[in-house]
Amino acid sequence: MVDVKLENIVKTFDGTTALKGISLSIKHRELFTLLGPSGCGKSTTLRIIAGLDYPDTGHIHFGDEEVTYLPSYERGAVLVFQNYALWPHMTVFDNIAYGLRIRKVPREEIKKKVEWALELVKLKGFENRYPTQLSGGQQQRVAIARALVVEPKVLLLDEPLSNLDAKLRLEMRSEIRRIQRELGITVIYVTHDQEEAMAISDRIAVMNVGTIEQIGTPREIYEKPRTEFVASFMGKTNVIPARVVERDGDRITVEFGSFRLDGLHYTEKSDNVVLVIRPERIRLKSGENTVSLTGTVDLVEYYGFFTEIIALFEGELRIIARTISDREVTGLRPTNPVTFYIDRDDIIVLPKQL
Amino acid sequence: MKVSKWSERLFGTPLPDAVVMTSFLFPLLYLVMFLVIPVLVMLATAFEYNGHISLYWFKSIFGSSYYFNPFHPEGYLVTTRPYGNHEVYYLFGKDFGVVLNSIIVSISVMILTTILGTGFAFIMARYDFPGKNIMRVLLFIPLLVTPFVNVVVVKKMFLPNGLINWIFYEHLHLFPKPIWIDGLIGVIIAQTITYYPIVYLNAYASFINIDPSLEEQAENLGSKGFHLFRTVTFPLALPGITAGAILVGIFSLEDLAAPIVFQGSNIAKKLMSYQIYSSFVSGFAVGNPQMAALALVMLTIALIMFLTVRWYVGLRQYAMLSKGGRWKPRVAKPKWWQALLIAFVAVPTLLLTIFPQIGVILLAFSKSWYGTWPTGFTLENMKAILTQPDIVRVIENSLLYSTVAIVIIILLSLTASYAAGRFKKAKLSPILDSLATIPIAVPGIVIAMSYFFFFSGVPPFKGSILDPTNLLYFFPGAALILAYSIRRLPFAARSISAGIQQVHVSLEEAAMNLGAGRWRSLTSVLLPLIYLNLLGGAMLSFVYCMSETSVGITLGSINSTWYPITAKMKELIIGAVGSANLAAALGVFLMAVQITAIVVANVITKQRYAFIGLT
Repeated sequence: MVDVKLENIVKTFDGTTALKGISLSIKHRELFTLLGPSGCGKSTTLRIIAGLDYPDTGHIHFGDEEVTYLPSYERGAVLVFQNYALWPHMTVFDNIAYGLRIRKVPREEIKKKVEWALELVKLKGFENRYPTQLSGGQQQRVAIARALVVEPKVLLLDEPLSNLDAKLRLEMRSEIRRIQRELGITVIYVTHDQEEAMAISDRIAVMNVGTIEQIGTPREIYEKPRTEFVASFMGKTNVIPARVVERDGDRITVEFGSFRLDGLHYTEKSDNVVLVIRPERIRLKSGENTVSLTGTVDLVEYYGFFTEIIALFEGELRIIARTISDREVTGLRPTNPVTFYIDRDDIIVLPKQL
Repeated sequence: MKVSKWSERLFGTPLPDAVVMTSFLFPLLYLVMFLVIPVLVMLATAFEYNGHISLYWFKSIFGSSYYFNPFHPEGYLVTTRPYGNHEVYYLFGKDFGVVLNSIIVSISVMILTTILGTGFAFIMARYDFPGKNIMRVLLFIPLLVTPFVNVVVVKKMFLPNGLINWIFYEHLHLFPKPIWIDGLIGVIIAQTITYYPIVYLNAYASFINIDPSLEEQAENLGSKGFHLFRTVTFPLALPGITAGAILVGIFSLEDLAAPIVFQGSNIAKKLMSYQIYSSFVSGFAVGNPQMAALALVMLTIALIMFLTVRWYVGLRQYAMLSKGGRWKPRVAKPKWWQALLIAFVAVPTLLLTIFPQIGVILLAFSKSWYGTWPTGFTLENMKAILTQPDIVRVIENSLLYSTVAIVIIILLSLTASYAAGRFKKAKLSPILDSLATIPIAVPGIVIAMSYFFFFSGVPPFKGSILDPTNLLYFFPGAALILAYSIRRLPFAARSISAGIQQVHVSLEEAAMNLGAGRWRSLTSVLLPLIYLNLLGGAMLSFVYCMSETSVGITLGSINSTWYPITAKMKELIIGAVGSANLAAALGVFLMAVQITAIVVANVITKQRYAFIGLT
């Protein structure tokens, strides 16, 4: 159980660059998530850490040891595949015992360890079943038990919940978190589901087309996205293109349409910017440091405890606000005038990405 | 129309539906009429003695050392004997009686083809090396079916002055003395070379279809090399390999080409298939109930093998488990010693196993072949295909029979696949499904034998043109068409039901929901979507009708005017000196038909058809 360091990992497949120089540092006992849309290179990164693919250039360290070109089994990074990769011709017991048998663990001890692993994933009594006789969630647990039983330095999970139904996904999510805490192991987790990533991770690396856009805690990533991509990938958000028209130190004034907002925080050079505003930060009442935008209601979507108001500004710009479903909000009808108030500190100004 | 319980139970449609009912009843009645009842008639003959039900004929088989001799086998596996002015190793085979000989040959061929087929499949599936694509094409050559003549070439290869000794004795000096393979061992070698591609194709498909993550996970946990192969790769491919091997076992059991070509040594005649065949040829023994009993023994063995493997493979539907994830085939560069094995074992073995087909071509273009190589280039044999009346006649006959058979096969496989594939809950569905696939396990010679008893003994066929004992009016073509349509049905049926499975039932339901009737939805939605499967399957069945042997050389060889190609080839092979060259020319013609069909199937339909070689 060690720190994992990736330095400048580059990987090309048939001429297309899958990873364009990835650098990461994962701490001991951390649950670290690689998050991004499909094709962003997160699974490739994981396979390179597992030693199932090798990078073109760059280095991987586990602790002080360089493992870049070490065969998969010698580095102690065990991967749980997205499809679980359970061997259909072996029982649950044989699947879990496989790695131990290769390590020539004595028979008695294998039995004990498999039992321990099965208990850990709450599957005692399933030893003699075949994988086809298990539900998706149970297969998932067997795959995790099989990886954990060899006491890996790092546990790698590739989209472990993507084949489960919604309810089971929540259950397994906290299960994985529990096991990670209980054993105190380093886990590297790959997913495309931002909600899952935020719920489970200590830290997240958001990836996009072979590069890392941002690394941080879930809160940092969500509340202080550093790029437009991260902002829009992390949940529903309003992204409004605007132009900087005035600068005063790190405070700026921006314009979009006939709207003009002043006193926003921005330090970058580019004058082409986007304003990122989380729907839940928009209010219907003014405050001390707020700016306001007035438009007309386009749509009111009732979700139960909260309601989303989609308002139209100057006939073309749509902004979503999300508020508690009180009477005032649910009473709004399309074409009613509405004013959105936003605290200046809740408007994140980012340079526009291509 | 009213909801009907019996319609739902039998056909899976609560409302009686003429299209669905026809789809069930037409193939079902046809298969019962021309497969089940003939076999039952033969069964009745075998169990009857002096008007009573009796085991007499079976006792006569198992009580005779000619048929069943487990404890005092005669003959030898290997001996030295003089040949010209030097000694050779003569490989021959022990005689355990007809029944056991057949079983021993079948098992030996299964083992040898499994080793060869699995070896080639693993190399082709998992290694990347220069010349691999050439090898892929070459591996396809042994699949070309050339009844009898390829065995003739195999026999020549293993003569003391044959190719094998020319290479390994004369030039490489690997043998201390020349070898001469004859008798049962000759049959085993010939069948192994003919049938190993079947195992190869099955094993190759199995290796390719293994989810790479299953092996990656094992590597990730520390497995590698042979351990990985033994614990993960091989067990996962085993169902496919077993299926191929069992198929080969059944083909070996029913094969007539090898025993007939090797009939110069008496032991090669002591096989079940040959015994039944010879009762046809000799004429006087053909109605003998003992032969019916022997055919029944053969059928029982084949069916047991077939049902066992179906049960075994059915238990291990591994492919279903994996979902999601990436699918990057595991292909590696061979290590140095693996490269050496490929270059110096696999490639030479491959070249030797494609030599029979090359030899057929050489034979067709030569005047004679006594030594290692044929002599005297000539185009006469090939010309004869177009000009010599009796040869032209058999080609026309075969084309006619196969074409008519293929029309029946398409109708049968379309209706049967639709009924069994779409109405799985119907009680008739599993019966139909089994009946449509089982002909692959029924030896051709058994069909010939049961047709003989059926058509010559049961009205209204007795005395009709289908009655082989009706010497004046018997029309072999009709019997052959029936036999082809049964024997070659599984190929088209398999292809078409695969197509139907790929078309989701909702597509037809949508059409019916919009007002199309069952028939309309079938012709306007389902048929256009599966016509490629239909075309591919039909061509596959067609080429194997053209090269059908067992029925062709028995029922089909009663009247030379109506010979199919294979009957003529057999006559040429066992006939006068030099006529083997003419048979080879027919072999070349058959290969051309097969290659054309394969190219058409692969290029025009853009689907991959693996032709499995069988006679």
